[in-house]
Amino acid sequence: MAITKEAIKTFGLTEEQLLEMHYKMLLARAVSVRQRVLQRMGKGPMTFSGEGHEAVQVGTAFALRPGRDWVFAYYRDVAVALTVGMTPVEILRGFFARRDDISSGGRNMPSRFSHPDLRIVSGSAPIATQIPHAVGAALAAKLRKLDEISVAYFGDGATSTGDWHESMNFAGVHKLPMVFVCEFNGYAISVPWRKQAAIENVAVRAAGYGFPGVTLNGNDVLEVYGAMTEAVKRARSGEGPTLIEAKTYRLQPHSSDDDDRRYRTREEVEQWAQKDPIVVFAMSLHELGVLDDKSEQELNDRVNREVDEATDKVEQESTPEPESALRHVFVEGGASNG
Amino acid sequence: MVSVKEITGAEGLSRDQLLDLYYKMLLARTVGQRERMLNRMGKGPFAVTGEGHEALQVGTAYPLKPGHDWIVPYYRDIGVALTIGQTPLDLLLAHLSREGDISSGGRNMPSHFSDPRLHIVSGSAPVATHFPHAAGIALASKLRGLDELSVCYTGDGGTSTGDCHEAMNFAGVHKLPVIFVIENNQYAISVHVRKQFAVEDISIRAEGYGFPGVTVDGNDVLAVYAAMKEAVDRARRGDGATLIEGKTYRLVPHTSDDDDRRYRSREEVEEWTGKDPLVRYRNWLKENDVADEAKLDSLHEHAAREVDEATEQAEKAPTPKPESALDHVLVEERLAG
Repeated sequence: MAITKEAIKTFGLTEEQLLEMHYKMLLARAVSVRQRVLQRMGKGPMTFSGEGHEAVQVGTAFALRPGRDWVFAYYRDVAVALTVGMTPVEILRGFFARRDDISSGGRNMPSRFSHPDLRIVSGSAPIATQIPHAVGAALAAKLRKLDEISVAYFGDGATSTGDWHESMNFAGVHKLPMVFVCEFNGYAISVPWRKQAAIENVAVRAAGYGFPGVTLNGNDVLEVYGAMTEAVKRARSGEGPTLIEAKTYRLQPHSSDDDDRRYRTREEVEQWAQKDPIVVFAMSLHELGVLDDKSEQELNDRVNREVDEATDKVEQESTPEPESALRHVFVEGGASNG
Repeated sequence: MVSVKEITGAEGLSRDQLLDLYYKMLLARTVGQRERMLNRMGKGPFAVTGEGHEALQVGTAYPLKPGHDWIVPYYRDIGVALTIGQTPLDLLLAHLSREGDISSGGRNMPSHFSDPRLHIVSGSAPVATHFPHAAGIALASKLRGLDELSVCYTGDGGTSTGDCHEAMNFAGVHKLPVIFVIENNQYAISVHVRKQFAVEDISIRAEGYGFPGVTVDGNDVLAVYAAMKEAVDRARRGDGATLIEGKTYRLVPHTSDDDDRRYRSREEVEEWTGKDPLVRYRNWLKENDVADEAKLDSLHEHAAREVDEATEQAEKAPTPKPESALDHVLVEERLAG
C-alpha cells in the first residue's frame, strides 16, 4: 500500500504520531541490537531479538490504550513493550536480571515482559501458553462490562498448539473483546511454515472460529496500524475477536543461542533485509516531508543516547539478593481467611 | 428383484450389501437398547450407547477394510464396532465386565472398544485423546509404505480440544492417510453446539488444515457411505486426510447416568425421533424395492435373536479373577533384546 498523505489521513494520524511510531521502531531496534552486543560481551545470559518485527509490533500496540487494555506479549515483543510504555531501562533490567526488574525481579528469562501498571501480563516460556490467559482476561472484561480489550501476541509456530485452538474457539463462542496477533515470520525457530501447516495463510482459520481473519504485510507499519485499529474498534464495540496475521521476517537468529545459517540461506535473509520495515517507513516519511536528513539524524542520536544511558544505569544496578530467591514462592505474612 | 445398477442412489452397493447395512444398523440399535435395559436391571454398571447415530457409524465403517485399516473410535461407536466385525457378544462381555471381554478383560468402561485382530484401538475416556493416536498410526502407515488408513471418530464436543487441532494440523502437513469423522449430534453431554463453536458447520475448519471437509446428513446412511467412500479413496491414493461431519442426533440420554430432560426439550427429541435413520432407511429400501416388509421384519427378528443369545451367553460368562487385576500393569516377562 502506498503511503500518501491521503492514506494517512484515513488513519487519523498526526505527523507527531507518525514520528512517534518511527521513534518506537528505532528504539526497539536499538534495544535489541544492544542486548545482542551485551550478550556477546558476556554481560547478559540470553537475548531474543525482535529485529524485523518492529512494524507489526509498533503498528498493533500503537492502537491500544496503555494501562487499560491487556497485553499478552511473547518473547519477541520488545517493540510492543516499548510502545505500550515500558522503557529501555526496564527492558535492560530484565535482560541483566537486576533486582529492580519490573517483569520478574531478575527471575524470569529476558524478554518475558510483565508490567502490572501497564497491564502487560507475565508469560511462561512454553509457546502459546499466554493465549488462554488473554482469552480469560477478555472474558473477565466482558462479564464485568469493562471497556478493556485483550491482545494476544504469538509467532507462527504457536498456531499449531492446542492452547491456540482452544483460545480461538472460546473467543469465537463468547464473542470476546480481543485481538489475536500472529507475527508470522515463517519460522518456528528452525521449522519453516510449510512443515508447520499445510496452508499459505493461517488467517483462513479464523473462519472456522466464526470471526474475521486478515493477512497483511507486516513490514508496513501503517497497514498494520490500519488493520489493528479496525480490530480494536470491533472488539470495543462488542463484535468479538479478530485474527491478524502479519507477514514479516526475523532478521536475526531466533535467540543468542541459535545459528540460523543451519536453516536459512543468506540470500533469503538478504532479500528480507531489503524490506526492513524501519528503512521502508523512514523512506516514506522522507517522501511525505515528515522527516528530513537533519531530523532523522537527531532522532537516531536521541535513540542511541537513550539506550546508552539506560545501559550505563542498569549495568551499575544491583542484582537480586540471593535470599530473595525464596520470595514469591509461598504466601508471605499469612493468607487472610476471608 | 431389480439388479444393482437399477437401484438409483445405491452408491454402487449390491442388494445384499444394502441389506447388510440395514442389518448392522439394526444390530447396533438393538445392542444399544439391550445395554441400557441391562443397566436398568442392575446387571451392567454403565451404558453409553449410540441410538440415532447408526447411519453415520455404519455408513462410515462400511467402506473400510476390517482388520487392515485402523479404527480409533469413541465411546458412542457401537455401530462402528459391529460393522468392522465385533459381535454383540463381544460388546456385551464388555458391558457386563466379563473375563472374556476382548476390549479390556472387563477392566475398561463399557463402549471403550478395542480389538487387536480388527485393528480397533483402545481409547481413554478423556474426550479426543485418541486423535493424536489416529494421526500417529497414519504417520506410521505412511512411513512404512503400507496401504492402511486410520479413521478417528469423535463427537462435536471433541472438536474444541487441543488434541483435535494438533492432530488435524499434523495430518494436513504430512498428508496422512487418516479420516476424521465428527458425529455432530449437537450436544457435548449437555453443552449445545452453539456454546461449543461459533460456526454452523465444523467441516469448514478443514480448509485451515489444507484438506477437504464435508458436511453430510448423518441420518442418511447412503449419503454418509458415499462421502466416506470418497475420503477412503483419497486417503488410499496418498492425497491425504478428509474431515467428515455428519449431522445427527442422539435419541437417548448421553449415558445411563444422564437425564437429558434437563437440557433438551421433549419436542426436540420427538422431532428427531421422526428422522430416525433406521426408519428412514427402511422406507428407502421398501420404496426402491430392495426388500419388502416381510424381509425387513425377518431382519428385525434375526437381530433380536442374535442379541438375546449374546446376552444369555455373556451373562453366563465368568467375571475376571480378582488376582487378574494385577495383570497388564507391569511388564510380566523380561523383554527380549
